[in-house]
Amino acid sequence: MELLGTVVVLTIKSLIFILGMFLGAAYLTLLERKFAGHVQQRPGPLHVGPHGFLQPIADALKVLTKEDLVPDSVDKFLFYLASLMAFVPAIMILAVVPFGDPFTIFGVEIKPYITDLNVGILLALAFGSISLYGVIFAGWASNSKYPMIGSLRKAAVLIGYEVALGFAIAGPIMMAGSFSLREIVEAQQNIWFIIPNILAFVVIIFCILAETGRTPFDVQEAEAELVGGYVTEYTGMKFGLFPLAEWYIATFVLSAITVILFFGGWNPLPLMGWLPIPAFVWFFIKVFLLFMFFLWVHWTLPRYRVDQITELAWKVMLPLALANILVVAVWIMIFG
Amino acid sequence: MVRIKYVERPQLTNRERILFLDFLKGMRITIKSFFRKTVTTYYPFEKITPPKRFRGTHAHRVKNGKEPPSFKVIEKFMDIKDGESRCVACYMCQQACPVPELFKIEAVQTPEGKKKVVRFDMNLLNCMYCGLCTEACPVDCLIMTDIYETASYHRAGCVTHIKDMSERAVDFDRRRYDEPDRIWIDNEERSKLWGQIKWS
Repeated sequence: MELLGTVVVLTIKSLIFILGMFLGAAYLTLLERKFAGHVQQRPGPLHVGPHGFLQPIADALKVLTKEDLVPDSVDKFLFYLASLMAFVPAIMILAVVPFGDPFTIFGVEIKPYITDLNVGILLALAFGSISLYGVIFAGWASNSKYPMIGSLRKAAVLIGYEVALGFAIAGPIMMAGSFSLREIVEAQQNIWFIIPNILAFVVIIFCILAETGRTPFDVQEAEAELVGGYVTEYTGMKFGLFPLAEWYIATFVLSAITVILFFGGWNPLPLMGWLPIPAFVWFFIKVFLLFMFFLWVHWTLPRYRVDQITELAWKVMLPLALANILVVAVWIMIFG
Repeated sequence: MVRIKYVERPQLTNRERILFLDFLKGMRITIKSFFRKTVTTYYPFEKITPPKRFRGTHAHRVKNGKEPPSFKVIEKFMDIKDGESRCVACYMCQQACPVPELFKIEAVQTPEGKKKVVRFDMNLLNCMYCGLCTEACPVDCLIMTDIYETASYHRAGCVTHIKDMSERAVDFDRRRYDEPDRIWIDNEERSKLWGQIKWS
């Protein structure tokens, strides 16, 4: 009986998270389009609803009702699988991301996370690596040159940055002494891990930009060179899933993980603890600010070449991440 | 022999390399324009009036007493009433046009021995709006107006005829005939914008 209850609660919780993420991602597109518009001194979507507020819904309807073309010469199975492989791992990371402390409403204890695994961060990394397969499958199954080039570029970029990302995460883990994201947050009540881990933070910023395919690392898309990268042959909702997964869900979830690792998760901002703001609001404020930072970078910078990107990954970011481990080790030895 | 010039890449100083100063410069610019006012026009709701010299849809000026002397000379050979297109079917526009087949001009001789223009069609789908035809027109008849919304549901709708062209010109002249035909306001303004032009 207890098992059944757990299963039901988990199912409901997962559904809420997934639906919330879908809706959130839809509105993140609106946020991005508004931001991009104002950066280029134009207003962005404006006419569907007040100030374009219903634009994501109109877009979703449009994408869903589009004709779903599958080219003749594609590998059908991989072609369908690829769009799911890109999308599902990105949303699976949500399973281990905690959004706040457990709190009680009407005598029921609600935990705002799906699971609290003791290897949560490793699972997040693993899912991040799996999404690479979606990209490679999409490029290979499309049977076309631009998707192929795009997916190979993305693979080269991802392989480089996954390594640096793994080493950069080691710093906060060493300080917290745990792989569980919740325990990492609880360890930051006095001082945020950004303080000794500044190098790792820089590395992680670059890794997230590279991993989610935002400029200056958007070589896999490179509108000017490859028609649309590995999404060239896709249409309709299958096409919609790639940018949704990559630009919005992955960026959002990785921002959340960065906030958890470096900015104290749902702990309030320094000197602002007296404000009557619930924990998960603090968390969302921080994630929002970080997401806006990524948008800001995206809509400012031009694109690196592929060789420059991999050079940066192996020659700069990896040594920086390793140096960070040394710095943190010394910090721990001095301050306990 | 092919000569190749090797250009050195600009060397970054260490400060720039470590702190990503070039990134920060660019991001300062974008955040500045983020808080600036937008510069767009909300097109279907808000329409900008083009300058008078704008090369929009073609029109035919009508016979209204404002003709140039070149028309006065030929006037008595033409069967044109007041308020009708002052076209004399000289085919100069077709001669000047880079795509001459877009013109269909026909003229007949009336029993009194006068010339009457019965057809002047332009297929604007083929037109590139270069304006050479208006410059070639000897009687200041063919002009280009400031109308730029030329879309139509059928191809036939994009072929413009002598009747609607003269109506369009009447409308255009009523609105903008008296406007000075200059892109700058006066000579001082011009020299401010473009610098002093030395005529040889």
